[in-house]
Amino acid sequence: MIVLTPLKTFKFPVTAECINPDVFQGKTVAEIAALPVFEGNRQKTLGELFKIEQAEGDNPSITINGDASEVRRIGYGMKTGEIVVNGNAGMHLGEKMAGGRIVVNGNAGQWTGSSMKKGLIEIHGNASDYLASPYRGSTDGMKGGKIVVDGDVGADSGCYLSGGLIKIKGSNTGQFLGYHMSDGTIHVEKNAASRLGANMTGGKIVVSGTVEEMMPTFTIDSVKPKVKIDEAETATGPFYVFLGDLAENGTGKIFASKPNNPNLKAYEKYL
Amino acid sequence: MSIVQSVTCPICGCLCDDIELTIENNEVVKVKNGCAICEAKFLGYRGHHRIKTPLIRKDGKLVPVSMDEAVHAAAEVLANANYPILYGWSSTSSEAQRIGVELTEEVGGVMDNTAVVCHGPSILGVQEVGIPTCTLGQIRHRADLIIYWGCDPWSAHPRHLERYTSFAEGRFEKSEWKAYMQKLKAQAGKKKVQSATRSGLIKTQPPRASSCTLPGAPPSALSKRGRKLIVIDVRKSMSAEMADFFIQVEPNKDYELMQAIRVLIKDGELDVDKVAGVPVEYLKEVADALVNCEFGVIFFGMGLTQTAGKFRNIEVAISLVRDLNMRTKFLIMPMRGHFNVTGANVVSAWQSGYPYGVDFSLGYPRYNPGETTCMDVLIKDEHDATLVIAADPGANFPKKAVQNMVKHPLIVIDPHMNATAMLGDIVFPAAFVGIEVEGTAYRMDHVPLPLKKVVEPPEGIYSDEEILRRILEEVRIIKKQKAQQKVEAT
Repeated sequence: MIVLTPLKTFKFPVTAECINPDVFQGKTVAEIAALPVFEGNRQKTLGELFKIEQAEGDNPSITINGDASEVRRIGYGMKTGEIVVNGNAGMHLGEKMAGGRIVVNGNAGQWTGSSMKKGLIEIHGNASDYLASPYRGSTDGMKGGKIVVDGDVGADSGCYLSGGLIKIKGSNTGQFLGYHMSDGTIHVEKNAASRLGANMTGGKIVVSGTVEEMMPTFTIDSVKPKVKIDEAETATGPFYVFLGDLAENGTGKIFASKPNNPNLKAYEKYL
Repeated sequence: MSIVQSVTCPICGCLCDDIELTIENNEVVKVKNGCAICEAKFLGYRGHHRIKTPLIRKDGKLVPVSMDEAVHAAAEVLANANYPILYGWSSTSSEAQRIGVELTEEVGGVMDNTAVVCHGPSILGVQEVGIPTCTLGQIRHRADLIIYWGCDPWSAHPRHLERYTSFAEGRFEKSEWKAYMQKLKAQAGKKKVQSATRSGLIKTQPPRASSCTLPGAPPSALSKRGRKLIVIDVRKSMSAEMADFFIQVEPNKDYELMQAIRVLIKDGELDVDKVAGVPVEYLKEVADALVNCEFGVIFFGMGLTQTAGKFRNIEVAISLVRDLNMRTKFLIMPMRGHFNVTGANVVSAWQSGYPYGVDFSLGYPRYNPGETTCMDVLIKDEHDATLVIAADPGANFPKKAVQNMVKHPLIVIDPHMNATAMLGDIVFPAAFVGIEVEGTAYRMDHVPLPLKKVVEPPEGIYSDEEILRRILEEVRIIKKQKAQQKVEAT
């Protein structure tokens, strides 16, 4: 196991896609310390920015102790192993991840789990905007794996989702959750902001709390007592089931808790 | 006295190129054809706010220095910076912008233009779904349905209606100017009748359909012959006054409105009675008008790009246009503000591949608004030097961004002593592009137009291009010296 401790509070953005169990695999501490990173526009080595120690045990493969909120691209494209960040993590954490596990005991930056294919990301604080959403202009969203956020998430999370599961336990989400998603599941345990599931063509969003506002382009389908989240879990309702987004001829489903959303009662006349 | 014709106006994205200037003793004395803003610039650019010499802050005060000293000081700051920002670019020539990209690459910084607080979201929207657009000439000659969404051209682009849309005499579509004047006369007459009724001169007044504003808009406004003008805004702006149909949308609800129209033009049904405060039955009228036009165009402004939803608003607007193109011909265009902000995007994209918010810190251009725009960097205080050219972030940026900007060395290149220049550490006076120096600017429809030099700049004042070129040369010299020192040390 490798333990990384930042040697200072970073002012400039640090681009360190080498912090990845696949890259560290089979390397000595000296070799790891010589890996190239960027701090602002200066190329440096990992050893110049972090204290690097070898600890006993294999799990987790990498531990970062300290504030890494300016450290970007941790675990970029990782396939195996585990990263634990005891502090905040920077942008693009676990981008294009294809396996393994990342645990953040703090907040995570934007584009966490962007375009991930497999694996597990656990965030015990808040996640920022664009959680699991692809880079600008791309429609290549999260395809598989699981993201669990204990806190809130920012705007535009789960865009172009085409597989996998996002669980949000915090009390708020940003706008445009599940924008243009085509498959996969988003479970919001508490409240969801407006423009939920805008332009979605498939998949499902389950909101156990309140929905701030339903898009006018969703049509009510039925009321269901419960809904399956994944193999192990079922959310109990009853839920209003909405179909949409009609603007995209979509057949995505939004499950909105019936007892928590009395404002949606007006839709019942169409049932 | 001399008269210069066909001058391009360096104010807004309309780039009107029919301005006629009268020059006397190296000074503009008369402006013909221009709007009020155009006249104000051509007649007022020599105000007392003009910076006369390069300035450097010493002991808290800006003191005059020589050009060489200022250039060396600026180059020293940029060459040693770990993450500098080079911001502005929208009110200068494309020639200067080109050198700006070269300079940013040389110092490994972030190059950003004013689109970041303006039409940046439009660019993001375009990158998501593409854009069906055209030149303004096409619209002038052919468009029979014009929509202004979240913008007020009568106030911000005063000659836009007159030169390119409703009030322009096109080859296939006639000007609506006369009809508008008649409408004004009719309204004045109506007011007289109302006033006479109030004062008791007329006993009864026959009931009439109300004007074109909602609620109570008559569908006839949309079935009239000739060019139709629809304005969609949160308030009844100056442009809305002259529209055939005005839709007052609830603030921050444009996204819902557009999505609803997208469903209606596909003959879909909605489960709600009102969208964004507008009854669905009126939206159906609008959807009919959109589908039944022969050549429609949507112009949009900050009302879409900087309200809730931001680039998603633009994305859905373009998607609406895409859907409309299944039924008729429809196009969309952003109402760009600064006269060469389009050029800043074009030059940046042509040089680096990305239109704004380009980060050269890793040695190659990267682009990710949210991470690499000057606003992201300033708010998080990640930078260590700033160069501002042809913009005034000191007056417009959020407080926190300005506070962080002035923590580190600030280089300003501007003709005027504006708010940013007052906060600056190294200040360069620049000549006015389009008045004192020539150059190229891009109109809002991406048509490049030449800017003319009509008067000589004051003595000792150089163009943006020249100042940047000298800073770039000096940066290269400093970097070379540093590299040599490093070799000698090892």
